[in-house]
Amino acid sequence: MATEIKLASGNAAAAARPFIEVKGLTAAYDSKIVVREVSFSVAAGEHLSLLGPSGCGKSTTLRCIAGLETPVEGEIVIDSEVVFSSHRRINVPTEKRKLSMVFQSYAIWPHMTVFENVAYGLRTQGVREDEVRSEALRALQMVGMVELAQSSATALSGGQQQRVALARSYACRPKAILLDEPLSNLDARLRSRMREEMRDLQHQFRLSTIYVTHDQEEAMAMSDRVIVMRDGRIEQEGPPLEIYDHPQSRFVADFIGAANIVSGHVRPHGAGQPVILDVEGTAIECAPRAALPRAHADGSHMLAIRAVYAELRRDAVPELANHWPATIERRILLGDLVTYAVRWPGGNLRVHGFPNDLFEEGSRVHLHVPSVRAILVDAD
Amino acid sequence: MSVAASGAATPLAPPRHAARRVRAGVWLPLVFLAAGLGYPLLLLIANAFNVGDAQALPPTEFGIANFAELLNHLDWIGNTLLVSISATILAMAIGIVLAWILYRTTVPGQRVFEVLIAIPYPLGPLVGALAWSALGSPQEGLLNQLYASLTGVQEPLFNIYSVPGIIFVMAIFEAPVAVLMIGAAMQHMDSALEESSTVFGAGKLRTAFRVTLPLMLPAILSAALFLFTSMMGAFAIPTMLGTNARFYVATTAIYVMFQSYPPNYPLAAAIGVVLVVITALAVWASARVLKKRTHAIIFGRNYRPRRMNMRGWTLLLLAFECAYVLVSLVLPLGVLLLASLQKSGGLSWMVSNWTLSNFHYVLIDFPTTRQAIGNSLLLGVGTGTLGVAVATTIAWMVHRSQSPGRRLLEQATMLPQAFPRLIFAFGFMWMVMSLPIHLYGTLYSVLLAYIIVFLPLAYRGMSGVVVQIDRSLEEAARISGARWGRMMRTVTLPLLRAGLLANWVLLFMISVREVSASLFLSGPGTQVLGPAIFSFWDSGGLPRVSALAVVQAVIILIALVVVRRLARAKPGR
Repeated sequence: MATEIKLASGNAAAAARPFIEVKGLTAAYDSKIVVREVSFSVAAGEHLSLLGPSGCGKSTTLRCIAGLETPVEGEIVIDSEVVFSSHRRINVPTEKRKLSMVFQSYAIWPHMTVFENVAYGLRTQGVREDEVRSEALRALQMVGMVELAQSSATALSGGQQQRVALARSYACRPKAILLDEPLSNLDARLRSRMREEMRDLQHQFRLSTIYVTHDQEEAMAMSDRVIVMRDGRIEQEGPPLEIYDHPQSRFVADFIGAANIVSGHVRPHGAGQPVILDVEGTAIECAPRAALPRAHADGSHMLAIRAVYAELRRDAVPELANHWPATIERRILLGDLVTYAVRWPGGNLRVHGFPNDLFEEGSRVHLHVPSVRAILVDAD
Repeated sequence: MSVAASGAATPLAPPRHAARRVRAGVWLPLVFLAAGLGYPLLLLIANAFNVGDAQALPPTEFGIANFAELLNHLDWIGNTLLVSISATILAMAIGIVLAWILYRTTVPGQRVFEVLIAIPYPLGPLVGALAWSALGSPQEGLLNQLYASLTGVQEPLFNIYSVPGIIFVMAIFEAPVAVLMIGAAMQHMDSALEESSTVFGAGKLRTAFRVTLPLMLPAILSAALFLFTSMMGAFAIPTMLGTNARFYVATTAIYVMFQSYPPNYPLAAAIGVVLVVITALAVWASARVLKKRTHAIIFGRNYRPRRMNMRGWTLLLLAFECAYVLVSLVLPLGVLLLASLQKSGGLSWMVSNWTLSNFHYVLIDFPTTRQAIGNSLLLGVGTGTLGVAVATTIAWMVHRSQSPGRRLLEQATMLPQAFPRLIFAFGFMWMVMSLPIHLYGTLYSVLLAYIIVFLPLAYRGMSGVVVQIDRSLEEAARISGARWGRMMRTVTLPLLRAGLLANWVLLFMISVREVSASLFLSGPGTQVLGPAIFSFWDSGGLPRVSALAVVQAVIILIALVVVRRLARAKPGR
C-alpha cells in the first residue's frame, strides 16, 4: 500500500505540482456567506491545516472540497481533475471524488462491525473480496485494532472509534484525506497520543491531507503548512513556525500561542532605520518590516510580544536594547510553564518562564524583549 | 495561492439564490396537504354559510342563519368545552404523575408499567366506551352489580352514563399520550439543572415549581393541546355514554344531524367551523406561550435523570400505577372478554353459559363484520406503509435538505393536528363527493383521510428517528464512494429500520381502531372496524359487539407485541 501512494518525494516536487487547488471559493448557508473567495493549494503529500475559531468557514471549505456542500462560486481541482467549477457548471458528486474523510463524530456505522466499516470503501470500489479482507485488516493493523475487527462498532470507546475512522479512511486508497476536527471529542491525554499516531501515519503514506482544527497546538504539531482563517477569509498562511514567529495581524498573534498585544505610536524614522514604537513614553525597538502594518483607527500601532520570547533576568545587561527594570506582580505555576504578570514602564506584560528558575512575587527584575521578537501586526 | 486577507478589498458576490430550487420532496407534499386539507376546510366553511338548499354542493345562497341558529344550541358547544377541558386536565394530571413515577422515581416495575400504561391508547375510545358501559351502567354494570351483591345496597355505586363518567373514560384512554410526550421530555432533561437549584438552596418543592415545571412546560403544553384537540373531536365515548342521558356534544350533534332526514348539513358544518375556530385559538395561544420560552436545553443528549427515592410513598405510587392499569386495561378487557363469551345478554360467570359462537358470528357468519375486519387490516397496512413513506420523505426534506420552503412544509404537516378528526372527515366527505372521480364509498377515500389525519403523528415519530441519525454517517458513505442507492441500501435504511417499523406499527394500530375519521367515509361494502363496532353497538347486542371489540383488541395487542420486539432489536444485526 505504501508503495502505491508514493506521490511526492519532497518539498521541491511539492511546490512544483499543486495536487489540490481551491480558487476563489465562496460558500453560503441559506443567505449567510460563510466562505469568501478563498484560494489555496495543497501539494502532493503535503499536510495542510485550516486553523481558526468556530464559524470561520474552515469546515465549510473542507466540506466543499469533499463535495458535501455546494459552493456558490469558485473552482476546485483535485489531481488535475476539475471537480467543481461554478462558471463551467461542473460539480462532481462526492462519491466520485475518490477522497476520504474523518468526521468530528467519527461517523462509524453502528450497524456494522469494525471490519465492515473499514471494508466499506473497498467494497464500493468493487475490489475482490479476498483483497478487501487483506487490505482492511492491514489498515486495522496500522491502527492496532485487528483484535477488535469482528466486534460491533457501538462497543468501541472514543479513541477506538477514532482509530477505526482513520483505518477506514486509509484503507480505501484515497487521493487525499480530509480530517474535520478529528481529535476534538477526545480527552487531552488521548488527543496528544492520537496526534503522534496520526503524524506517523502521515509520514508513512505521504498522502495529501487537509486538516481542519480550532486547536493551534494540533495545527502546529501536524502540519507542513497552516492557513489561519477568520470570518470566511484567509488571514495568514505559511509554515507553522513562520506563523508563530511572524504573525501578520493581531488576530493571528492572539489566536496562536500566548502573545501580549501592546499599542503605541510609531516614532518618525528614516528609511532603513529600525522602527521605534512609543508605548506610554517607553521606546521599543521593533523587528524590521517591509512596510508599516495597518494602524488602528486612532492612529496607534499594535505590537505583539510572545510570552515565551520575553526574558526575565535578575541582573541588568545595560548594553541590550529593549531592556527595562520591572516588577513581578503575580506568579502562576502551570506545571510545565510558569506565567508571570510583570509590571514594566510600558504597562503590564505576561511572560512565560520555567519552574527551574522561579522569581518571587514582588521581586524586582529586568525585562528584555529582543527586538526581532517585537512584531508589529495589523490592527483589527 | 492567495495573499493573506486578499478578500478584504474585493466586494463580495451575493450568493445566487436562483440556483436553489424548491425540491419536489417539498412542494409535492405541500400541494398534497394544501389540497387534502385546505379544500375540505373550504367546503366546510362554504357549507356553514349555506342558507339555501341544504343538499346543494356547492352552495348557492350564503348567509349567517346557521350560526344564528347555533345560538339556540350553545349547550352543545358548552358541553363540548366542558368535557374536553375537564378530560384534558384529568388526563394531563394522570399523565404527569405516571410519567414522573416512571421516569423520575425509583418506584419498581418501570419496564412492565411502561408497556402496560401505553396500551389503552391504541386500544382506543371505542373499546373504552363499550367496556365501561358494561362495567358502569347503573343497572347491568358489572361493578354496580358487584357492589350491590357485596353490600346489599340497591342504589348503584356510580353511573357511567353521566358527564363525570364521560370525562373519566375519555381521560383514562387518552392519558397514555401525555405519559409518552411528557415522559420523553423528562428523560431528556439534564438533571444538573435541578441539582443546581438545590445547590443554591431551593427545596424540593421550590425546585419542582421553579425549575422542573417551567422546563417541562413546552412538553406539557403540546401534550395538552394534542389531547384537547382530539377530545374536541371525540365521538365514540360521548355517544355511547352520553346519548342515553340526552347529553350532546358537538360531534354527537353533528352525527345526529347527519343521520336525520333530511340531513341538516349546513348546521352541522357551522358547528364544525366553530370547533375548528376553538382549536385554532388553542393552538395559537399555546404557540404564543411557547414562543416566549424556548428550552433547547431539554432536547439533545439523552441524560440519565437522577431518580428520586420515594421511600414511604413508594407503595402509594405503585398503587396508583396499578389502579390506572386496572381501570384502563384489566377491567375493560376483562369485561369485554366476559361479555363476548355470553350465550345471551347479561354477564354470567358460569362457564356453562359461555360460548364461542359470538366470535364465530363476527368472524365468519356475518359478512359485514367479516368484511370490516378485512378492510381494517387492509387500511392499517395501507396507512402504515403510505403514511410512513410520506412522513419519512417530509422528515427527510425538513431535516436534511437545504430546500426553501422546508419550514413551511413542517408547519403544514403538523396542521391536521389542529382539526378535530371528525370535523375534518366531514369536510373531506364533501370533497370526495364533489370530485369528478369516483372515490366516495371506496376504501381509497378512507385511506386518504387516514393518511392526512395521522400525518402529524407519523411525522413526529419519523423526524425523531431521522434527527437521531448523524448526518455524517451518510456523508461517510458518500465519501467512501457509495452512490445514493448504495448509501440508502447499506447505511440509511438499516439505520432507519427499527424506527420505520415502529412507526409503521403505530399507524397500523391507530388506523385499525379509528372511528372518528371513518364514520362518514365508510359505507356499505366498505365497512371498517370502528364504525362497524359502533353500528353493531346500536343493533347487535352486547355479546356480539363485545366479540368484535375483542377481535379488534387482539389485532392491536399482537401489533403491540411486534412493536415491542422491534424496538428492542438492535438496528441492523
